Amino acid sequence: MGEVYKNVVCPFCGCLCDDLEVVVENGKVVSTKNACPISKTKFLDHSKDRAKPQVRKDGKLIEVSMEEAINKAAQILKESEFPLIYGLSSTESDAQRLAVELAEFIGGSIDSTASTCHGPTIVAAQGCGAVKCTLGEVKNRADLVIFWGCNPAEAHIRHSVRYSVTPQGMYVRGKKERFIVHVDVRETRTSRMADMFVKVEPGKDYELLSALRAVIKGYEVGDVAGVPAEMIKQLAERMKGCRFGIIFFGMGLTMSSGKHMNIDAALRLVRDLNDHTKFTITPMRGHFNVAGAGEVLTWITGYPFAVNFSRGYPNYNPGEFSAVDLLFRGECDAALILASDPVAHFPIGASQHLAKIPTVVIDPKVSLTSLIAEVVIPCAIAGIESEGTAYRMDGVPLRLRKVVDSPYPTDREILEGILRRMKGC
Amino acid sequence: MRLLLNTGRTVDQGVSMERGKTSSEYFEKVAVAFIHPDDMKELGIDEGDAVRIETDFGSTVLKCVKGGTEKGTIFVPMGPWANVLTGPNTEGSGMPSLKGLTAEISGTKEKVTTLDDILRMLGG
Repeated sequence: MGEVYKNVVCPFCGCLCDDLEVVVENGKVVSTKNACPISKTKFLDHSKDRAKPQVRKDGKLIEVSMEEAINKAAQILKESEFPLIYGLSSTESDAQRLAVELAEFIGGSIDSTASTCHGPTIVAAQGCGAVKCTLGEVKNRADLVIFWGCNPAEAHIRHSVRYSVTPQGMYVRGKKERFIVHVDVRETRTSRMADMFVKVEPGKDYELLSALRAVIKGYEVGDVAGVPAEMIKQLAERMKGCRFGIIFFGMGLTMSSGKHMNIDAALRLVRDLNDHTKFTITPMRGHFNVAGAGEVLTWITGYPFAVNFSRGYPNYNPGEFSAVDLLFRGECDAALILASDPVAHFPIGASQHLAKIPTVVIDPKVSLTSLIAEVVIPCAIAGIESEGTAYRMDGVPLRLRKVVDSPYPTDREILEGILRRMKGC
Repeated sequence: MRLLLNTGRTVDQGVSMERGKTSSEYFEKVAVAFIHPDDMKELGIDEGDAVRIETDFGSTVLKCVKGGTEKGTIFVPMGPWANVLTGPNTEGSGMPSLKGLTAEISGTKEKVTTLDDILRMLGG
């Protein structure tokens, strides 16, 4: 029997499940308890497919020393006139803090993966505010849970058992005392655990949210967005009549036509509902510390993502300083990618520019971005091989654990190394 | 045949991503298109057949998986294959167009697009 670590926080999605049990033998994770299939794979395969320190020479990535890789990264950033730092979301918050310091020092742009997930959520909340609560309050109080444009059964696998559908709360005991609604363009595994499935026509979420607001204000509506008028009325009555309601929403709202305006309508719907009952709303954050990236950027610069320092002070402008835009327009002349893999998840029209410019990748694993990079710097896996702080999707900070040693330095040690070289100290 | 394309996460995509993005499992689970049985019938294809999908932004060949989406729509897991089809224009929002895209789909005898093919498209 190896060493058993209890109450380990999972470093995969924004649920940050903090009840994992991890068994380590001979420096490797050999088993887990309470982990979802994705988390289990992340822990058990932590030592596989690891990146190596590499620098591209004559078109080929050649293995070099860590020292040479970090020196080359510092040189690329020093020679750049309009660099981009992107990612941040799969590492801990001290490394995020150093990434912001580096962006300020080099006068570059810095953006997190939020810009391609809940960036529109942040933009909308800046416009009209958001009625929020913790996941603990959901577990203890929510008797109406609405999943809108999200599929937690596949993307946030233990969300339903830990917080929102089946857990025994203080005032709401299990699924029989909760009513679960799923609103989406297609039936998924999440629909199967819902008491009511509302199929909305693709790209028509704004219309349906607006119709619900109208009904709640006492107006009559007809069929909207493919949803029968009677169903809209039933859902509105249920929303007004619950003791504590919550909408969890995902990419179905942020990525569909309308983007931040969909979220604006959802946030205002929740605000309206608070004239009748207690109602809240929470985005289903993807990367385990994308929420932390927003927190760190905001407390340092005042802005949560898409920040540029080229004038010597922070400027915020999604659409201008967000990574996909900077890349698609071909504006940045070098990039540092930290704790994310844009080549795996950006439209190819944006990734093509990353392949043209000198790109530095800091990643524990072989990522697709590392395959097109100029410099690859391997790092410890945050939350498995290094500790730190991460923010859950509801904004609650939790401490990540280190359960095994890493052959590589942590993200923050690498960023400190780059900063030291750039500052010449 | 014109269908509406959505992209997103699946459990298999998440698990195979953690196995390694250059792994054969990732290719098996992510280089796929979920298609409604009625649309498959109209296209004259069976599960496992190759389909070419084309949008305003690019074109790729994927393996058909039966079901998992509504009639008139296809679902492709997030990943490098979906990236060929999605649009980089964010309309000033920072968020690219990753859902609700119009796609042209047809059966094909071509091989499924490989990761190397996509890296070549990138110029990498």
